[in-house]
Amino acid sequence: MLDVSKHPKAAGGNTAVRTAARTRLISLCVNGQWHEVAVKPRNMLVEVIRDTIGLTGTKASCESGTCGACTVLVEGRSVLGCITLAVECDGKQIQTVEGLAEGEKLSTIQEAFLDQGAVQCGFCTPGMLMSATALLQRNPKPTRQDINKALEGNLCRCTGYNSIVDAVLQASGQGGIKPVMK
Amino acid sequence: MSELNYVGKSFKRKDGPDKVTGKAVYTQDVKLPNTLIGRMLRSPHAHARILRIDTSRARALPGVKAVITVEDTKGIKHGFVETPRYPADQEVLARGKVVHVGEEIAAVAAIDQITAQKALGLIDIEWEILPAVFDPEEAMKPGAPEIHPSHPKAPREYSNIGGTTETEWGDVEKGFAESDYVREDRFECQLRTHGYLEPHVTLAHWESDKLNVWTSSMGVFVKRAKLAKVLDLPYSSVRIHKAYVGGTFGGKIDLYSHEYCASRLSMITGRPVQITASREEIFSAFRHAQPLLLEIKTGVKKDGTIVAQRIRAINNAGAFRGSGVVVIFLAWGFTMIPYRIPNLKYEGFSVYTNHTVRAPQRGHGAPKVRFAIESQMDMIAEALGIDPITIRMRNAREPGEQLPNGDNTHRGGLAACVSLAAEKSDFLAKVGRDRTSPAAGKDGRSGSIRRGIGIGASAYMGGTLIYPNGSAVIVKMNDDGSVVVLTGAIDIGQGSETVICQIVAEELSVGMDDVKIISSDTDTTPQDIGAWISGMTYVTGNAARQAAGNAREKLLQVAAEKMGMPAENLVLKDKVVYHRLNPELKMTYREVIAASVATRRGDTIIGEGFWRTMRDEPAHPSLATTKGRWTENYAFSAQVAEVEVDIETGEARLVKALTVHDCGFPINPQLVKGQIDGQISMALGHAFMEEVLTKDGYTLNPNWLDYRMPTIHNMAISEDADVITEQYRVGQPYRTKEVGEGLISGILAAMGNAVYDATGVRLHSTPFSAEKILAGLKALEFEAKKTRKSGKAPA
Repeated sequence: MLDVSKHPKAAGGNTAVRTAARTRLISLCVNGQWHEVAVKPRNMLVEVIRDTIGLTGTKASCESGTCGACTVLVEGRSVLGCITLAVECDGKQIQTVEGLAEGEKLSTIQEAFLDQGAVQCGFCTPGMLMSATALLQRNPKPTRQDINKALEGNLCRCTGYNSIVDAVLQASGQGGIKPVMK
Repeated sequence: MSELNYVGKSFKRKDGPDKVTGKAVYTQDVKLPNTLIGRMLRSPHAHARILRIDTSRARALPGVKAVITVEDTKGIKHGFVETPRYPADQEVLARGKVVHVGEEIAAVAAIDQITAQKALGLIDIEWEILPAVFDPEEAMKPGAPEIHPSHPKAPREYSNIGGTTETEWGDVEKGFAESDYVREDRFECQLRTHGYLEPHVTLAHWESDKLNVWTSSMGVFVKRAKLAKVLDLPYSSVRIHKAYVGGTFGGKIDLYSHEYCASRLSMITGRPVQITASREEIFSAFRHAQPLLLEIKTGVKKDGTIVAQRIRAINNAGAFRGSGVVVIFLAWGFTMIPYRIPNLKYEGFSVYTNHTVRAPQRGHGAPKVRFAIESQMDMIAEALGIDPITIRMRNAREPGEQLPNGDNTHRGGLAACVSLAAEKSDFLAKVGRDRTSPAAGKDGRSGSIRRGIGIGASAYMGGTLIYPNGSAVIVKMNDDGSVVVLTGAIDIGQGSETVICQIVAEELSVGMDDVKIISSDTDTTPQDIGAWISGMTYVTGNAARQAAGNAREKLLQVAAEKMGMPAENLVLKDKVVYHRLNPELKMTYREVIAASVATRRGDTIIGEGFWRTMRDEPAHPSLATTKGRWTENYAFSAQVAEVEVDIETGEARLVKALTVHDCGFPINPQLVKGQIDGQISMALGHAFMEEVLTKDGYTLNPNWLDYRMPTIHNMAISEDADVITEQYRVGQPYRTKEVGEGLISGILAAMGNAVYDATGVRLHSTPFSAEKILAGLKALEFEAKKTRKSGKAPA
């Protein structure tokens, strides 16, 4: 069972070996900038963003779509980069954590995460921020239940989630949630 | 000048902006040109002899640059513990036989992942399967399969003993004889894992005579010491670089085989080598926490005063010693700290089984010990007709009490925590309410929901002496008065960098933005204890305070000389030295530093600081004899859980947690709060959700779909109150206490007691699963029917 050498998933992608699979040239518009990249049909979006394009803010953790650390926005919708094929995203608009701030100015959700102490080790943070951004774009005034629903696929082992919910509420500007850190 | 501007305040994290913008560089983000990808070949057997390994087919595969087995190592052993009684016991790759599924046998470096993976499949091994044993009590029996026949035999009748701790004081038998009520119980805890999101990743790059390593860790100096040892290199040839760490919780302390293999493969190939563990590997082959089995016999007086306690602990320690002997030693401590026990006898066994090796996990045994003791305490209280608060108050240690190991509780104590927790939660008004009159339909609850409340207490030590024992910090003043701090402290999410900056800003009266920190790099920063013995804020923080104080003294001396007045008349404020009474007389830091360089043969003002706990203690406590002090800082806590149980489905959930604790002085209250909330979440996972399931040594649920960790839907209200017992004064040592792992234990016990309060079902094992609760309810129903039939009144 643990003969990982025979387990296809254990390979985890991240390859550039010459194989029979045909390489395709695709275009991805990441954070407003177009990239032409050569990918194998099996390459996952998270690999291409991290390894080919070089934006390492998006995190790779579970390789199986169970933790949400690799969440990015494709055409404004949150998707899991580790189970989305890069070829599926040809010609599409992609937003990653690097695309949230405008220059030095952090977005309201980024500020809110800092204000609420919603960041500890930070490994889930990029995925959390992207799921929260997608939520606030489609539902600017979410309830706590809406937030729970939107972030249910993002695991965090450090914070216990309360500060993250408060951060999303603060960012939505519905009042009642004040920064707890200065 | 008692006003504090930086410590005691909730400043935002220093590393926050990097972490919310994706700029923070974790080990997996470090890229070097020409990097090879490494993979580990792991054992498919729990216990087997390796008759032959043939790597020739793997070596011949195009794209494979190196393959190593144990024959390519120097055969140097390492261990979590390396003492005369417990010498290093593990080689970096299996030699001759494997003792658990997933044990590392060989490693491959290739031009890419697929080639490396393919090469693993080309390594031929001839096996002789040996009988394996997985249950610790089975493994202890004479005649059980011997996992390490060469290890010294424990002087006992048992097999497979990896280590023991035995200690006692008073006379337990006499104590039991003098007790009015005695009971014995047995408790068990499940196998859990850490659940850090960042996988284990190591990047190693050998440059001529220097090994550069980036690796997921909890302390770079421990990693360096172990890596240098097994590679047979001087410490100066191994540099562990800083990288952000994506969660650890105990699982990234010790040396792992892949760290050695990435290093050795880089030395052989001359190219950087990166090895990333897949999530399945982490679940199946890496180290989990220690499941403990506890048998407790307690004797009390009628009023609940503890007279005697006998505890027997058995740890399913896995296939090597790991931290198994440490948890068995610590478990003794976790029994004796919170309550006064005049007669105690403890025996703990760490037992080898063919499971994966164990690591510490947040609390390192305390959750299991406290769950057992606090559950039994409630049972005793009920039998005697005493409430859960009174029995705890009656036995709680007070401030200033001497502990049997020579430690003192100082200004801390459990009593204040218990009474405040009872008051804040309105405990006595709530306890027993739903069992006596089920609140069907109350508070909008459906008819099958029962609510319960429970309490648990705990205590935890901070900054215990263990390699490297002390921390040093260097504070460098820049020409413009800004500051760079060099510290070996590693920020694993707890916020050490922020806290250290706050202390330096306070001591030097500079802004938070003026302080920049260089951390956790073995070559550029001084030695540090690491983020794994709950002492960084105390030990490294005091070193930072001293280093900043050293720089402050130098600033004052130079200013005093230049201004022609005694240093006592000067004060520091916002990067300016003022005369205490006449603020017109002043010098900016920039001017003072320029003067120092001009008049002091170039001293640019650098401060040094050093700290360790228990400066008068020669060494760490002895695992073998249990002699020696642990700490000068015990943090006590009482935690209350309110749970809801659906008696139709058996499902239970934590609704509200209250933590009353004593962390000494909170340098950053919101970072303290973050530690509490995280522990509540982890504890509710322990209580209701998490379990690594194994069969014959294989992990059956090696992913987060099947190993259920708390999600955002499982969060509970987490309130806290801090019994502040210490103060911070500029220029003086301060006392902070443990807050990062001691608050995961009382709450676990509280949840068990709350489930009982809600349902009458007393569970002796975690997790408190729906199946167990339903079975308990059925048993109660059966008992009730029997009682009705026989016409006896219920007890």
